[in-house]
Amino acid sequence: MSVLDTIRKYREAGYYKEFDYHWGMTVDLDRCTGCEACVVACQAENNLPIVGESSFAQRREIKWMRIERYWEGEYPNAKLNFIPMFCQQCDEAPCETACPVFATYHNQDGLNTQIYNRCIGTRTCAVYCPYEVRYFNWFTYTWDEPLERQLNPDVSVREKGVMEKCTFCIQRIREAKDLAKDDDRRKVRDGEVTPACAQSCPTEALVFGDLNDPESRVSKMANDPRGYQVLEEQNTSPSVVYLQKVHGDEEAI
Amino acid sequence: MDITGTFQYEEDAISAAQGLHAAGIKNVSLMSPIPMHAAEKALGLGKSNVRKFTLIGAILGGLGGFSMCVATALVFIMPTGGRAIIALPPYLLITYETTILIGVLSTLAGFFLVAKLPAWKNRPYRVEANVNRFVVAVESPSSNEVKKAEQIIRGAGALGIEQTGDTL
Amino acid sequence: MVMKKLFDHGEPSYEQVNQDVIKSLIETGPKYWMLLATTVGITVVCFIVPWMYQIHMGVGVAGMNRNAVWGTYLSNFIFWIGLSHSGTLLSAVLHITQSDWRKSIYRSAEAMTLFSLMVAATFVMVHVGRLWFIHWSFPIPNPMGLWPNFRSPIMFDVMAITTYLTASSIFIYMGSVPDFAAVRDYSSGLRRRIYTVLSFGWRGTSKEWHTLGWAYTFFAVLVIPLAVSVHSIVSWDFALSTVPGLHQTIFAPYFVCGAIYSGTAGIVTVMYCLRRFLGFERYIGKIHVDYLGKLLIALSMIWTYINIMELFTGWYSGSSAEIEFLKFRLFGFYAPMYWEMILFCAFVPLLMLFKSVRLNWNRMLVISILINIGMLSERFIIVSTSLPRKLLPDSYGFYFPSPAEISITVGSFAMFATLFLIFIKVFPAVSIYEVKETLNPLRRAEKT
Repeated sequence: MSVLDTIRKYREAGYYKEFDYHWGMTVDLDRCTGCEACVVACQAENNLPIVGESSFAQRREIKWMRIERYWEGEYPNAKLNFIPMFCQQCDEAPCETACPVFATYHNQDGLNTQIYNRCIGTRTCAVYCPYEVRYFNWFTYTWDEPLERQLNPDVSVREKGVMEKCTFCIQRIREAKDLAKDDDRRKVRDGEVTPACAQSCPTEALVFGDLNDPESRVSKMANDPRGYQVLEEQNTSPSVVYLQKVHGDEEAI
Repeated sequence: MDITGTFQYEEDAISAAQGLHAAGIKNVSLMSPIPMHAAEKALGLGKSNVRKFTLIGAILGGLGGFSMCVATALVFIMPTGGRAIIALPPYLLITYETTILIGVLSTLAGFFLVAKLPAWKNRPYRVEANVNRFVVAVESPSSNEVKKAEQIIRGAGALGIEQTGDTL
Repeated sequence: MVMKKLFDHGEPSYEQVNQDVIKSLIETGPKYWMLLATTVGITVVCFIVPWMYQIHMGVGVAGMNRNAVWGTYLSNFIFWIGLSHSGTLLSAVLHITQSDWRKSIYRSAEAMTLFSLMVAATFVMVHVGRLWFIHWSFPIPNPMGLWPNFRSPIMFDVMAITTYLTASSIFIYMGSVPDFAAVRDYSSGLRRRIYTVLSFGWRGTSKEWHTLGWAYTFFAVLVIPLAVSVHSIVSWDFALSTVPGLHQTIFAPYFVCGAIYSGTAGIVTVMYCLRRFLGFERYIGKIHVDYLGKLLIALSMIWTYINIMELFTGWYSGSSAEIEFLKFRLFGFYAPMYWEMILFCAFVPLLMLFKSVRLNWNRMLVISILINIGMLSERFIIVSTSLPRKLLPDSYGFYFPSPAEISITVGSFAMFATLFLIFIKVFPAVSIYEVKETLNPLRRAEKT
């Protein structure tokens, strides 16, 4: 490749012309009941720390997946909207440019990765994230006996001073890719990998898959006319599409 | 052996120094408590060479800073935020800072080199030179220059002359 | 143009300048040692001890939480960087404009710059979560082959502050070399040896003065754009985010103006202390407090304008996020602090329009301290009222500093005072040769 081509490659916005896989999710707000099974599953799968009562009261909880609740109207016509909020794995993530030590960057799977070992805790990424889905370890949280037996051996535990966030259960994605590679070097098929939240959702409101693949379930759901993206006007290009809730007596816009 | 002449007024000291120059005596230094811009003109000190240090330092700093940004970004390709790997707005800002940093450091180096500091060896000096007197000093004049130097210094209106003057 | 009187009580002679300044350096009484011991004690108890506790326990010792991940550590950092712009303005800008009134006060102002920067750099270290890896943010060759991310605003910060620290220390050091020679000549024993080394064998020859003059001017020319860029870069830590209250283009001019403003007020405070405690009334007089006061008025008006613009553009945008943020800032929990800031930084300085206020050192001291209290609140307001009101309403939060943070804030002032107290006994606090340049020249003819 000539020098000019090399320079052109490095001067291209985002660097990647296409991703190997472009992992994404759809969240069907019509199906979400706000049961928070996804929150618990995420906590169990990813060794999320239990911060304790006083830290929780200080608004320091660590919930990679959280359910946002918005009330509409007054009793007896009150409506409650649930919005599961987790890292949107933005393709133009404001948080990635913020980190001075490259502890967060965009990988070839379209994921916004967080490298715990590299993080020095400046917390700039959390300020830059418009969705507030980044969580900081204010102390080194520990698990009381016998809860430490429940920890997932595939996932690390983080010490104080490290930022963490939803990773689309990257350990499961890696495992699926490894198995697919062993199995005749094929690509991961749709449905072979599911993050903990999608796996535990009782109403199947969360659908995960490869947005690159037009035949995958997630791609089809993302093309639904009810689809929108949270804080679209921030131009972060998230990989998560939310499907608007259909209210009984109103039309979906 | 050095000769130092102490003067109360600026013009006297300058005329003494000019006289010594005209007589061909080398190693003449004119010391004062404050910079004398008139003296600099009289003694033929034009634009300083420190400028060259600043310019070269700034250019090297700029090139070095930009190369540092580009080279470090290419070691491991880690795209961030949908931006290019060689992103100009941040890199030019870093370049601006390194330009000033290396410019400042090389100006400092230039100052020391051009002023020939640090110089801790014994050289002619009088304490009053840093208070309120002007001191003209001739460093190690040859034997036939001594009389002429003393004559010129006395003629310019020196307050005092010392043969083996204070050294630093 | 009428030349204002630089000296209130008559011009000193050349020897007097040497004596006055060097005496302030060499003579130390018990009051000085007691004061130094107090400031060191407060620094250790209020700054070092809580910091060590925080390194042991984690940043959770501070009051920050999920929404307000930035708190007083960063707002203090910005305050101290702001304070550092005073010296650069006085030293460098006024040197280029060849102003005489700067000559007796610029050395201490430059010292303020250097020490504010040091305190600010310490705050960065207090702020990060894993201090023991902070060297990763510097481009140091390492076996991992990992380099910092130069696209990050924090890296601009790292480079800018490193450059500014280097440039400021070199600036103040180089300008002091002739004065170190003067102290060397006046002292004996160990002190003489130290100053011989520090003065590099300076004799004051015309070649040396010539070189110093050129080098100093080039320094000034380099340092001015640097100072403007440093605080702009610090502001871009905030302005490059997506937070409604922070993502504004006005931030760079806002911060630079606020920096020069708070720095100049800091100079007034320091000059008052120098006059009062080191006996420099002869060298720092009415002209200085007059010009500094006028400068403060001008900066106050710019600052007020920028604040009004911030409110106006926020309201005019009609963006619900911006309006929510403005409501929180103006009428929320921190509204008293916001209005106190407006009072101290926009209205109180208008008193300086009156000569009776501007030429009175005591009144100027009070006003300058009020301005700096207002500016400290301003930095805090910027952080604490913007982060709890980001874009998703369910995630709105609240931030209040913890006792450890307040203690560290107090300790930082003590640290600055300690550094300054050490400075006045090591560096001549008033520039001897520059003051002499303003006196009657030692010429036979044309005695002015």
